[in-house]
Amino acid sequence: MRDRSTPITCTFGEVMIYQITRTIEDRIVAFHGFGSPLVQLALHLAKKTHAPDLVLVAGATYGVNPTPPFLAPTTNDWVMNRGAECNLDIEELFDLAASGRVGRMFLSGLQIDRWGNMNVTRVGREQLQLKLPGGGGGCNLSCDVQHVTIWTAAHRTAPDPKGRRRFRLVEGCDFITSVGHRTAEGKTRFEMRYRGKGPDSLVTELGVFDFDDSGHARLAGIYPDVDVAEVRENTGFEFPVREDLSLVPLPTPEMVEFIRALDPLRIHERELRPEERARSFALA
Amino acid sequence: MYTQADKRCDLPSLVAHVREGDCVAIGGGLSWREPMAALRELVRQQIKGLKLVGSAHGIDVDLLCGAGAVAVSAESYVGFEQDFGMAPNYRRACESGAVEVRDSCCYTLVQQLRAAIAGLPFMPIRSVRGTGFMHIDPDYKTMLCPFTGEELVLVPALEPDVAILHAHYGDAHGNLHIEGPPVADILFAKASKKVIATVEKLVPPEQLTEVGVTIPYFYVTALAEVAYGAHPTACYPFYAYDRRHTAEYYRVASDGGEPFRDLYLQPYVYGCPSHAEYLEAIGGAEALDRLASWKEGSRPWMDLYA
Repeated sequence: MRDRSTPITCTFGEVMIYQITRTIEDRIVAFHGFGSPLVQLALHLAKKTHAPDLVLVAGATYGVNPTPPFLAPTTNDWVMNRGAECNLDIEELFDLAASGRVGRMFLSGLQIDRWGNMNVTRVGREQLQLKLPGGGGGCNLSCDVQHVTIWTAAHRTAPDPKGRRRFRLVEGCDFITSVGHRTAEGKTRFEMRYRGKGPDSLVTELGVFDFDDSGHARLAGIYPDVDVAEVRENTGFEFPVREDLSLVPLPTPEMVEFIRALDPLRIHERELRPEERARSFALA
Repeated sequence: MYTQADKRCDLPSLVAHVREGDCVAIGGGLSWREPMAALRELVRQQIKGLKLVGSAHGIDVDLLCGAGAVAVSAESYVGFEQDFGMAPNYRRACESGAVEVRDSCCYTLVQQLRAAIAGLPFMPIRSVRGTGFMHIDPDYKTMLCPFTGEELVLVPALEPDVAILHAHYGDAHGNLHIEGPPVADILFAKASKKVIATVEKLVPPEQLTEVGVTIPYFYVTALAEVAYGAHPTACYPFYAYDRRHTAEYYRVASDGGEPFRDLYLQPYVYGCPSHAEYLEAIGGAEALDRLASWKEGSRPWMDLYA
């Protein structure tokens, strides 16, 4: 018997949060930055479910294991620091990363290339066309933290009247704010002797990629309402597909309830376009 | 070292410590404890040509860009997060060339400040290599580590001319107490040539000792008591983030430089020669009481952001 209040469907945002949650290991230090409510919720969901011993460091406040009563619209708000066991300061968090003790970080980009290099600094290589907000600590952390989860809820690109698309997953970034598996000059992370191992997953609203042995993004999972052709159409580079490509798993009703209780203002939906907010999935 | 016994002054005298063309570090971050009253006074005094350094910022940098006070931005992030999005005045100023873009990153900035604090010419970091930032700042050098043989980046010491901070409490001597996340304020205070601070409340020294000194007095050049000096950003526990006012700011700033001047700078900055007049302009006691309602529980707190 199912309680009447138990959700029988979930939204796309909730499914995407769960995909990010699945990339988080237990018993590591994981840190989220600012402007990333999907990731904030994913970390809290991980700690609530499979990763109770996660050391969750909140972005901007640097609070450790906070229990916010609700998700605030901005990251450096005392709401987000409620219940924190202790607080780090800015240098402590980055020192932990530089010394190899931060297990996972979450980064996004307006441009993301096949190797996981990303740009949140500027559009236009020579002439500045669009000044983006900037990468915060992403540049440093992309080199230093053990593993990186990349996420974007704007993989889908509509063609302009001439049929051209301004891809989010691009052939090349106009500027490299954070590094993936190979530099613009083609050097590998091993050659660069970075502390961290780089991105191991790329979660978008169309699918979930891992990275193959060469460091190239590879499609590993798709959502029930998307096919591979649609992913290809919206991607600015060719990519391999895993032989065991599967549908991504959906969250349980309990997980969905947890997300809804933690984000009553639906702050995470501000990362989603209206068409993604309209997607709905039946829960088992 | 600033050792005088009484550093109290009014807001205009405080801000007059900033000179045209100064390298300025602004305290706080995002929607938390930005020294907004001091920045509005800086705009009124028409101090221009500033070089801004910092980590994650929003309305503070955007306001200065909208007022034409900035020549160079070496921030690591300027925006309104998922709340409103990109910073309109900052974008326009960067894209028009009015502001020279020299973006930095958080740890790079931290290491540069630490070099200044320790009196060293540089600090090494392992990151940044392979990113576009290597081409933005010609002062970054690389070297092979004499111990391990690995390639490191050396980032030069950064000693801002002035740090502008907003703290909860201060005493006449200049000791400051900050509650909650200090962001980079302590690093800024220790690395900068001058530190000017607004505080919510001036208190007797013994009361400050009791709550704890976050920044010792000898770093601090001058301070002024300015209650609600961080508005519209938050200064908990006194007041939450004024999302309603920020929404108005954002709407007007998004409409363009001229609307921003006429409909924001005029009514809230130029048209308010004193901070008291500003507080009236934003809605007076009623608006301020509303921002203190977060203390009553999660529901009223959430209502501030609904």
